[in-house]
Order: sequence, then structure tokens, then C-alpha cells
Amino acid sequence: MTQNSYTDSNIRWIYPLPAILFVALLMVFPVLYTTYISLTNWTLTSGTAPSFIGLSNYGQVLLEPRFLQALWRTFVFTFSAVAVEAVLGVAAALLLNRVFVGRSVVKLLLLLPLVATPVAVGIVFNLFYDPTIGLANYVLESLGLPGSSWISHADTVLFSLVLVDVWQWTPMITLIVLAGLASLSDEPAEAARIDGANEWQIIRLITLPMVMPVIVTAVILRLIDALKTFDIIFAMTGGGPGYASETLNLIGYKYSFEYFRMGQAAVILMVLFLIVLACSVAITRLGKRIER
Amino acid sequence: MASLQIVDVRKAYGPTRVIHGVDIAIDDGEFVILVGPSGCGKSTLLRMIAGLESITGGEIRIGPRVVNDVPPKDRDIAMVFQNYALYPHMTVAENMAFSMKLRKAPKPEIEKRVSEAAEILGLTKLLDRYPRQLSGGQRQRVAMGRAIVRDPQVFLFDEPLSNLDAKLRVQMRTEIKQLHQRLKTTTVYVTHDQIEAMTMADKIVVMHDGVVEQIGAPLELYDRPANLFVAGFIGSPSMNFLKGHLQGGRFVSDSGIALPVANAPAASDGKPIIYGIRPEHFILDDTNGLSAEVSVVEPTGSETQVFAKFAGSDVVGVFRERVNAKPGQQIRVIPDPNLGHLFDEQTGKRI
Amino acid sequence: MKAVGLRILFYLAVVLLALIVLLPFLWMLISSLKTQIDIVAWPPKFIFSPTLQNYYKVFGEQDFIRYFINSTIVAVFAVGVSLLLGLPAAYSIARFSQRRLAMVILLARLMPGISFLMPWYIIFSRLGLMDSYVALVLSHVLITLPIVVWIMSSYFETIPLELEESAMVDGASRHYIFLKIILPLSGPGIITATTLSFIFSWNNFLFSQVLSMEKTRTLPIAVFNFLSYADIDWGGVMAASVAIMAPALVLTMIFQRYVVSGLTMGAVKG
Ligand SMILES: Nc1ncnc2c1ncn2[C@@H]1O[C@H](COP(=O)(O)OP(=O)(O)OP(=O)(O)O)[C@@H](O)[C@H]1O
Ligand SMILES: [Mg+2]
Repeated sequence: MTQNSYTDSNIRWIYPLPAILFVALLMVFPVLYTTYISLTNWTLTSGTAPSFIGLSNYGQVLLEPRFLQALWRTFVFTFSAVAVEAVLGVAAALLLNRVFVGRSVVKLLLLLPLVATPVAVGIVFNLFYDPTIGLANYVLESLGLPGSSWISHADTVLFSLVLVDVWQWTPMITLIVLAGLASLSDEPAEAARIDGANEWQIIRLITLPMVMPVIVTAVILRLIDALKTFDIIFAMTGGGPGYASETLNLIGYKYSFEYFRMGQAAVILMVLFLIVLACSVAITRLGKRIER
Repeated sequence: MASLQIVDVRKAYGPTRVIHGVDIAIDDGEFVILVGPSGCGKSTLLRMIAGLESITGGEIRIGPRVVNDVPPKDRDIAMVFQNYALYPHMTVAENMAFSMKLRKAPKPEIEKRVSEAAEILGLTKLLDRYPRQLSGGQRQRVAMGRAIVRDPQVFLFDEPLSNLDAKLRVQMRTEIKQLHQRLKTTTVYVTHDQIEAMTMADKIVVMHDGVVEQIGAPLELYDRPANLFVAGFIGSPSMNFLKGHLQGGRFVSDSGIALPVANAPAASDGKPIIYGIRPEHFILDDTNGLSAEVSVVEPTGSETQVFAKFAGSDVVGVFRERVNAKPGQQIRVIPDPNLGHLFDEQTGKRI
Repeated sequence: MKAVGLRILFYLAVVLLALIVLLPFLWMLISSLKTQIDIVAWPPKFIFSPTLQNYYKVFGEQDFIRYFINSTIVAVFAVGVSLLLGLPAAYSIARFSQRRLAMVILLARLMPGISFLMPWYIIFSRLGLMDSYVALVLSHVLITLPIVVWIMSSYFETIPLELEESAMVDGASRHYIFLKIILPLSGPGIITATTLSFIFSWNNFLFSQVLSMEKTRTLPIAVFNFLSYADIDWGGVMAASVAIMAPALVLTMIFQRYVVSGLTMGAVKG
């Protein structure tokens, strides 16, 4: 008993200790290290050691048009993708929130995009979008519409990438909202029906407000993930044509592992990190508010 | 306000039939309570009246109008749910105003009605709170407030008090009764608490397995249960039953004990009979009483419940007197000859 | 009549939805069964004679099998390590409501992987760990550990406290209770956590792209590399894509219930 009592009374920190050490070593330390690198002038391929140059990387990178465009594009991509996903996802959830034949099959289908390997998804959509052999233009043309240049042109590339993200992640919102709807009691909707509400009023005035916390959580989760989108963009366009589909994540990658300009890369990574951190803080704040 | 007619109403979920032809006539302003064991179809019937469940067969009329195919919102009813069904994202005032807003009532009118209802229910100070900031009893009151602001034709209640603690339940019982006396709105109230049924109802409907067993005033059901089911269901502790037959104006149990019965029908002599006697209708009688072997004595203070073996069966008696017998001892009791009930063993019907 | 019309409209909407979701998978599968000539045909061919030649070609390559094995090794070890680290941590978070601790580990789920990747790259190069399973597994654990902690702490919270308290009264140590009472009751949670973290490790591209080279290359990188050939062999790429997606999709179909609960868990609790 006695040799157990120490572990027993300290289990609250002994148990998580290995995980904490691991996260500190692989996450906290690298972030600090990146912060330091961002203050140095360092190109990995040059063979010289990092030299401290203060904030001048920040001055340089933050004013560079390529960076500013990527920053803007990241927001455009994120918000347009998540806005469409939110609307479609909630609509699909409301549609599927009833008993019908084949419901479980549809729910299984909804899961598939979520677990599909993003790189492979990107490749399949590349084949879709191919201007000469792709199904996408075939469909457009059979509907009597003009074909699109999809990812091969700067004007359409971001929109085409948004479509891929929408295809892959809308089901996430649908599934979360469906689970939220399932956890609601039927009674308020029935009470509203007796109170004189029609179906649309029930959805708008009762059901939607009641699942709103769930919708908001799902949307914020999606926002954070969409900000970090890398795989499909890298696989489908590599940031091109030109720089037309470069997001922060993409130029962060290129500066680090293609140009090896570590100091400047670190600045980009810091910016991305801070944006995501801000969103994450927002999500916890919101979580606390909803709990109350 | 309106009368409510339920005529041969049936309900089936696919092949499962849960209500088999129910007839109930409810007068304008009456307070009717549906009781019955769990799963007998009370909620289903109530929800059919509300329009939340479709009607498989028969007819429901509110006032002169057949409402079978009328959607809930056009039936002019209000319903209080077991879990209150308050809208969690609206304040108390918004909850109560919701139905009138949907009907596009003018704002001053809504405000007037809400504050009147709040006044009646003692909610005036809580109007700006959200449901999660209320106690169970307060939520219950908001649910009722939501029903009364509309001044509907019919009130429906589905076990509205079952989530409250015992003391609050008694208090709310009185309040609902008073409210009814004040508003005189036709009310259908579901419960499986028979004290609620006995104390609140103008008329009780006893249901069992989707059929109506008996309809009547509370004391009528108590004094003259129409069949074995009602006899056993109404009253607590339940009525005691002994098997046997009638013989020369007396009941003879299968164990051979004879009990006096006032005006027993001579025609039933020899037929298998079930004799019922309520626990409180046993009389302690040391001279003429028959012996009963005590197994458990439970004094509650105001009365004493005695479980005993009597005429070959386990019975329970309730006495105003204190009973000092110990388990295993004999006491002498006699059922009140005027208050015994006789039922046909085959059909279960009262004789 | 109106009801029937609505019903038909509803099913049309559902079928349309299902088709949109399925189309990329179907097209991938169809294309993987076509010859290069059929694939580049215009208009796209819907009727053709299917062939398995793309699969023979892909699996015939020695390397593809090796990448498959690499992916499996990395995912299995990453899941194993994160269960080892994550289960006790999740238990502590659930039992002592350590919200701050939970937040720290969840940050790993929320933060962009690339902001850790550059330092890892530098450090692993210094330590001579580039292109090693160790480096790859460690990086993947940073993905899988938060999943395990997230799912398992929610799961542990659903196990009634009385169970532990009665064991404690009986004289069991905390450690014994965790190993002999809590874990055996956590089957469904562990299945959820394992399945999801396996899938996410399996699908990971970025970490493997940077930290692995020829020896430890995983499937997503291999499939991506197909694209860099001058003349894209679409049939081969599609067959490889089918091969890479198959394990995750099959796992999902088997453990559908668990995957749904894992993906929707935290959000619904609010
Ligand atoms: N959707 C349904 N499908 C099939 N059977 C149902 C359905 N809803 C209710 N039932 C059945 O109908 C019967 C009556 O149910 P109901 O809810 O009316 O009982 P109740 O008298 O209100 O019981 P309680 O006192 O427990 O609330 C039950 O046997 C129940 O199993
Ligand atoms: Mg009920």
C-alpha cells in the first residue's frame, strides 16, 4: 500500500507526464526555435551559421507582394470554402434528419470523403479538371455550358480548389450537425407545432437556434483546418500556375524546403501559427460561453 | 372553449395496433384525466388529440369540428409536455409570447397577455430569464404560462408533474386545479399518479392496453369499479382479491372461509367469483372477526398497514387504530359486509 | 398527393447528394480499369473493356509494395505510441477535469504542422535521423496523440465514477484500477481512437514528404511522385490511388459507427 500511495496521490500529473514531455519536445520547442530562426539571417544551403538580424526578416517578408497575396488568398480560400460548406452542410443535415430507407447507407457515404487520402483526392480531381480529357468539362459541355480552364488558369484555379475542399469537407459539417440534431429533444419542435409554427418556422425559429452552438463549433473547426490546407493544393497545382494558388502554407513550405531561406520561412510560419492560434483561442472562448 | 368528442379512435404503428377503438365524450369546461399503466396508450391518445400523431381510425371532434386532418396549429389547443419543452434559446417572456407572435398578434396585446399569465403563475420576476436559469417548478409554470396566454379551446397535459419532487407536486396539483377553476378551459390531463387523478379530475378515464376500461367521476370509480382491472388499479394500496364462489348470500373462498356479503345476487350461486375488498374496509373485530396471521406491520403514523394471511390469501389491511401485533401473531378482522365487491371470474366484470 | 410528390423530391435530393459524394471515387475506380488510350479518349468513355493491367503494373513494381509496408509500419507505430502516451493522459484529464492540459495537447491538433516541421527538419538532419522510421513515427505521433487524447478523455468521462470508487474502497490502487477496470471497459473508445488515428497517419502527406526519402517513403508521397513524370500514366496513378485509399475506406466501412462518433464527438458536446 505505502509504495503505491505516492503514485496514487500524484496520478493527476504522473499519468499525463510522458505525453506532456512529448508535446513540449515536439511542439513547444520547435515553435520557440522557429521564433528564434525568424530573427536570423539564415540560408540552409549556404553552410553558414544563423546570424542574428533582429526583426528585419519581418520587415522584408511582410511587405513582399508574394506574401501579401498569399495571405489574402489564404483568407479568400478559407472563408469561401467554409461558407459554402456551412450552408450546404447544414442544409444536407436538415434534409437527412428524418427516418428514411437507406439512411445508414447515405451516412456511410458521407464518411468516405473525410477519410479519403487528400493527395489522392487531389489527383483524382486533377483528372476531372483536365482541360482535354476531364469529366468536368464534358459535364459542362453536355449541359450546353462553355468549358472552364479550371486549375490551369490563374483566374479559375482558386475556385477549383475551393470546390475540392467543399467536396471533401462538407460531409464533416453535415455529420456533426446531424449528431447535434439527434441530441435535441423532439418536444420543443412539437410544442412549436402546436403553438402554430409551420415546418419552415420550426426549422428557422426552433431547430436552427437550438443546434447553433454545434454549427458554430463545426464551422470554427473547419475554419482552422481550411486555413492549413496543404495536401490538395500542393498535389494539384503546387501553388501554380505562377503563384496563383499559393497560400501561406504553400509559400511556407517553398521558402523552407525548396529555397531553404530559413529565416524568411520562419516569419511566414510564425504568421500562419499566430492566425491559427488566434482562431483556436476564439474556439475555446466560444466553448466556454456556450457552456454557460 | 369547446367540448371534445373522441369516437372509436384507433391507432396503429404499421402492424402494431396500440389503441383499439376509444370513445370518450368530454363536455365543455370539464377536467378529464387519463390514467392507466405505462404503455397503455395515454400519450398516444393525447398526441392524436393534439395532432402530433395521425389518426388511424375513428374521429376526433373539437367543438362541432372534426379535426382528424387539421394540422396542430389550426386545432386551437395548447399542450404542456412532460419535459416542459421550453425553447432553450428564448427567455421566459419570449417563450410565452411565441405562439401569439406566430399568429401575428399586435404587440401590446401580446405584452398584456404575457404579463397577465405571468401574474397568475407568479412568473413576473422571471420574465427575462432563460429556461436553464429556472428551477424545475418554475419551468413547469412557464410551460403552463405558454399554454394559457393563448386562451385555447382545449388544454392538454402529458404527465406535467412527474419530474417534480413530491412536495412541489402537491403544490402544483392545487395550482393547476385552481387555474382550471378560474379559466374553465376544457382539459385533458395524462398521469399515472392516481392521487393526482382522484384529487384533480371531474372525470377519470381508465385505460389499459389501448382500450378504455371505465369512465366516471373519481369516487364512482372508487366505489363501483366496473371490472377487476379498474378495481385493482384505482386505490392505494390496491384492493384485495379472494377467489371462491357465492353460496346462500355469502362468499365462500376456495380455502373454505365464508364471508358475509350484503345483497348478493342469488342467481350467481355456485359460479366462480372473485371477491374484492379494499384494505381500509377491513374492520378489527375481536369477537366476530376471522383470524389472520400477521406477516408485516407498517405504521405510518396516521394509520397502520398490516400485511397478513387471510382466508388463504395474502392481503393488506389499513386501520386507523394502532395495531400492536407482531409478525406471526394472529389478529381478528372482518371485511365490511356492505363494501365488498363481486366480480365474475371469467369476464372480470362487476356483478 | 402532395406528400407523395414531396417524398419523390426528397429521394431525388438524397440520390443527387449520394452521387456527388460518390462520383470521384467511382471515376477513380473506373479510370483505374481503363487503358491509357481509353482514359485520354474524348468524350470520356463510360463503356469500355475493363483491364487490371494498371494494378499489375503498380503492384508489380517492387517499390510500391515497400511504400505500402512503410506506410503500415509508420501508422502502426504512431498509433501504438500515441495510445501508450495518450491513454493515461486522457484518463487524468477526464478524472481530474484538467482542461488546461487538454487544451495544450489539443493545440497540437489545431496548429499547422508546417510550423513544427522546419525545426524538426533541421534537428533530425543534425541527428542523422532523416529518412528514418524514428523521425517519421515521432512526427506522426503529433497527429495521432491529440486524436487519442480527445476521443479517450470524452470516453473516460462516460464511465461512472462509482465504479472506481467502489474499487478504491476495496483497496485497489489507482494504477490497478486504470489497468484492470477502466481500460477493459474502454473497448469502443479505443477502437474509435485507433481507427481514426490510423487513418490520419495513413493519409498524412506533409510530414512524410519532408522527413522521408527513398528508404522510408510512404504511399502518399509515392502516389504524388507518379504525377511528376512527364507523361502522366493516369491509369497507373488511379490504380495507385485506389490502393492507397482502400485501407482507410475499408476500415471506415467496418468501424462506421466508431468513426462517426470520433469525428463528431467534441463538437456535439459543445
Ligand atoms: N412510434 C412507435 N412505434 C411503435 N410503437 C409505438 C410507437 N410509439 C409508441 N408505441 C407503443 O404504443 C404504446 C403506447 O405508448 P404510449 O406512449 O401512448 O404509452 P403511455 O400510456 O403514455 O405510457 P407512459 O405512462 O409510459 O408514458 C406502447 O406500447 C408503445 O410501445
Ligand atoms: Mg406517456
